[in-house]
Formats: sequence, C-alpha cells, structure tokens
Amino acid sequence: MAELIKKDVIDFYTYPPVGSDDWRYAFETAVIRAIETQMLGKATFLDMSNAENFEAAVDSLGASEYASLQGKSFSELEEILHIRRSDVREQFFDLMIDKEIAELFKSRNDFANLRLVLRRSLTGKALGNDYSKEGNVTVEKLVKVFEAEAEADSDTSELPDYMREASDEAVLAYYQKKDIRQIDYAIDKSQAEYNLRRAKQLRSVFLSGLFRIQIDLTNIRTMLRLKYTESEKRNAFLDGGYIGFERLREGLDSDYETMGQLFFVTPHHRIVDTGANYLVSDKSFLRLEQQCEEYLMGFLKTAIQITAGPQPIVAYLLMKENEIRTVRLILTAKKNGLDTKLILDRLGA
Amino acid sequence: MLANVNATRMELLRLRRRVGLASRGHHLLSEKRDELSRQLILISRDIGSLRKRVETELMETCRRFMLARATMEPEDTKAALETPTKKLSLAIDFAKIMNVKVPRLTKEMAGEIICYGFATTSGELDVALLALERAFDNLIELAEKEKQARLVAIELQMTRRRVNVLEHVVIPELHETIKFIFDKLAEAERDNTSRLMKIADIIRA
Repeated sequence: MAELIKKDVIDFYTYPPVGSDDWRYAFETAVIRAIETQMLGKATFLDMSNAENFEAAVDSLGASEYASLQGKSFSELEEILHIRRSDVREQFFDLMIDKEIAELFKSRNDFANLRLVLRRSLTGKALGNDYSKEGNVTVEKLVKVFEAEAEADSDTSELPDYMREASDEAVLAYYQKKDIRQIDYAIDKSQAEYNLRRAKQLRSVFLSGLFRIQIDLTNIRTMLRLKYTESEKRNAFLDGGYIGFERLREGLDSDYETMGQLFFVTPHHRIVDTGANYLVSDKSFLRLEQQCEEYLMGFLKTAIQITAGPQPIVAYLLMKENEIRTVRLILTAKKNGLDTKLILDRLGA
Repeated sequence: MLANVNATRMELLRLRRRVGLASRGHHLLSEKRDELSRQLILISRDIGSLRKRVETELMETCRRFMLARATMEPEDTKAALETPTKKLSLAIDFAKIMNVKVPRLTKEMAGEIICYGFATTSGELDVALLALERAFDNLIELAEKEKQARLVAIELQMTRRRVNVLEHVVIPELHETIKFIFDKLAEAERDNTSRLMKIADIIRA
C-alpha cells in the first residue's frame, strides 16, 4: 500500500513554519496582544455547554464582550453575532498594513457571493440583493454584472480577475454536466488556487502554510464525506495542500478502521483516526470538524506568538471568527434543547 | 309511528315489504360496519409506531441541521441550500376499501440530495439531508396510511349511524305503524262483524 502512495513531502512535525517578524507591525501586534486577552476561554465554553438552559448559557457570557446578548431573543442574538463578526473583520482591515492581505481575506466574501449569484443566474432565479457586503466587490456591481450577463450582454471585465476566472470556470463546469454542484467545486478550486497564488506573490510563508492547511483539512473532510455519502465524486479534492491526491483517493478505498494508518506519516493522523472512529460510532462529523478546527487553531496559536508581523492579526481574525461560531453553536444547541454531550463532543471537551 | 298513514291493507303490505328491505339493509350495513372496523384496525395498527419513527427521524434531521447551520457561516448556508438538486414527484392513484376511495401515494425521486460543494459546508449538513431523504419513505407511507384511516373512519362513522338509525328508529317505527294498521284493520273487521250480527238480529226479529 505504501508504495502506491506518492510520497507527499511534509517537512514539519506538527505545524508548518509561520514565517519571520515584520517590525512594521509592532503597534498593530501590540493592539492584538491587548484585545486577544478578551477572547473567551475554554472554561467559558464549558460553562455555557453545561448550563441548565439557554438563558443560563447566555448569562455565562455576562462578563465578556457578548454581555449584550443577555435578554435578547434568538433572532436578535444571531443578528448581534453577525454584527460582531463584521466588527472584527472591520478591525482586521484597519489593523492590516498590507492591504493586499486585507483584500485577500475580503475575497472570501466575494467567492461566497459569486457562488450564490451564479447559482441564481444559471438556474434562472431572481438575483436578489441579499449578498454579503463585506467583499471587495460591492453588491450593486456584482448584481449589475450578472444581470447584464443574463441578458447576453455579458461584461465580467468589471469584476476582479480572480472572480472573472472563477466565474468562467464555474459556468463551464456547470454546462458540461448541468450539475449545480460543479459551480461550487469550480469556485472552491479557484478560491484555493487564488489564495495560494496570492500568498506566493506576497511571499508570505505564513499565508502559504495557512492556506495549505485549510486545503488539507477541507480535503480530509471531503474524503470522509464522500466515503460516508458513498459519492463517486472523486475529483472534488482541492489541489495545493500538503497531502497528495493519491493518499486521499487511497483513503476513499480503504476502511474507516485503517484510514488512520494511511495518514500515519502526516500530522493529520489524529484528525483522520478520531474523526473516522466517531463517524462509525455516532454517524456524525462533529468530532472530525472539532479535530480539524483544533488543528487549525493550534497552528494559529503558534502564529499569534510572533513578536510583530501580520501573522498575529490574521490569526486573531480567524480565531475570533471561530469564537463567534462557537458561541452561536452552543446557544443554538441550548435553544433547541440538544444534548450537552453533543456540544461537548463538538468542542472536544 | 309514521304520521299521516292510511290504515289500508295496501299500506300494510307496502310497510311489510319496507320492513323486509330495512332488515336486509340493516344486516348488510352491519356487515359493512364490521368489515370497515376490521380494515381500520388493520390500517391503524402500524400508524402509531410509524408516526413515532417518523417523528424521531425528523427530530434527528432537525437536530443535525441545527448543528450544521450553527457551525457554518450564514452566507455559506444560504448559498449551499439555494438550489436543491433533488426532485420529488408524488403520484396519487386511488384504491377502494369497502367502496371507500382511498389514496395510494407513489413517490419518484431523482437527483442527489447533496446539492453543494464541500469546502464551505459542514458534514453535519450531509448527515441531516441524508436523514431527511431516508425519512421521506416513512413520511409518505405515514401520510398515506393516516389519510386512509381518516377516510375509512369517516365512512365507518356514517355506516354506524345508518345502522343505528335503521335499528333504533326506522325498523321500530315501521313495526309500530304495521301494528297500528293491523289493529285498525282488526277493529274495522270487528266493526263489520258486529254490524252484520246486528242486522241479522233485526231481520230475524
């Protein structure tokens, strides 16, 4: 089996290198140092998870920046968390000296908007205007371009190159099989390629490592999801990660029990092993997702240690987004009376 | 007793024929009622457990969906579920149970229920959608059986009411009217006899 697997080179033990200091960021890193102390700790999440009910879980946030959630209805609460996420992103864009990096992270919203607008445009639905406003391209411009396209008067040249390329790829992929999922696969691939390309252009070791880790984690999740759903879509993996396609395809053909061994030479062995075992026993991806998140957070924690540089700012953004997601997860679970064990499994407690 | 009845032999014969017909109808309707009860029991025997199973499956689907929705970014959730690829068509034909027209549902599903890419979505969403897909079979079976049970129960209720009306109102009333006419005719007969006897006495005197 080992000889079948192409040797994908992983020249680090647990996490890839995070790059060196950049003293232009001395002040910005200090700001991050100050505000990162306000982040919620594991103990708070455990208190929330073990709270008796939804109200008690919200009360556990009383001493944190989420205190405004107290006494709010669930929909208001979701809105507040959404605003909080926008604020964090805004703060990130303000702190980031290299605007190219800020634009790179804003492009996540552009790709999300592109996914939605293409789905609507190609299936003849009304385009609407309920898109994320946090991207590089304004909602009005996006809708205008695709409305013109619907009238065969296409002019995607108004869009940035990465969106135009992704859009062309997605449209082509859709019309080849008339399969709506091909839009997502094409955009996911374009996004991954764009991220890696930009990280290379910016000569950022940290961003390269981060995006490759994200690709690996997505590929591992995809592998287990394809296997669980017995899907034949073996081309859904993203290129550019540390793990080679051969290993992932080999994983698809092997049993859940032996899957962990297949990844033994990679730092993702524990993720695959734990995730696959939980999937078999509980028919759920909660543990896999928790492990993926834990690995990514581990990498970000090493990056946030950098004395000065863009790394702590990016790490803070991603960790804060993760924190907001976790708060939403626990409160959703509490509101809907889900089992505490499920929450704890998802948190890895 | 029937109102405005003519106490004649013709009427008596007609009423006796009606009693015979009503008794036969009562007998047939009683048999229909028994058979409808049997059919209803057969249909509803599985409904309880089926409903419980469907509710559990739907609860599980909702639970998974909640978790998926909570762990995904709102814009990703919206994009993922914007255009479903699974198509469900439901054909209805009708069968008859004791002349009650009951629906039979046949579903046809095409396409895959997972209609999104993997990079920005949660695995729990896959689990939720697959659970929903599995729940469809039972859900449709439950809908079919509950509708059948409802229609059969309505028919049973109507039949029972008819049987009761025949048994407790129509047939006793007819019997009472027959008795009334019979008594009237007997009275008239006795009148005639006594009149004839009186006339004979007068003639003899």
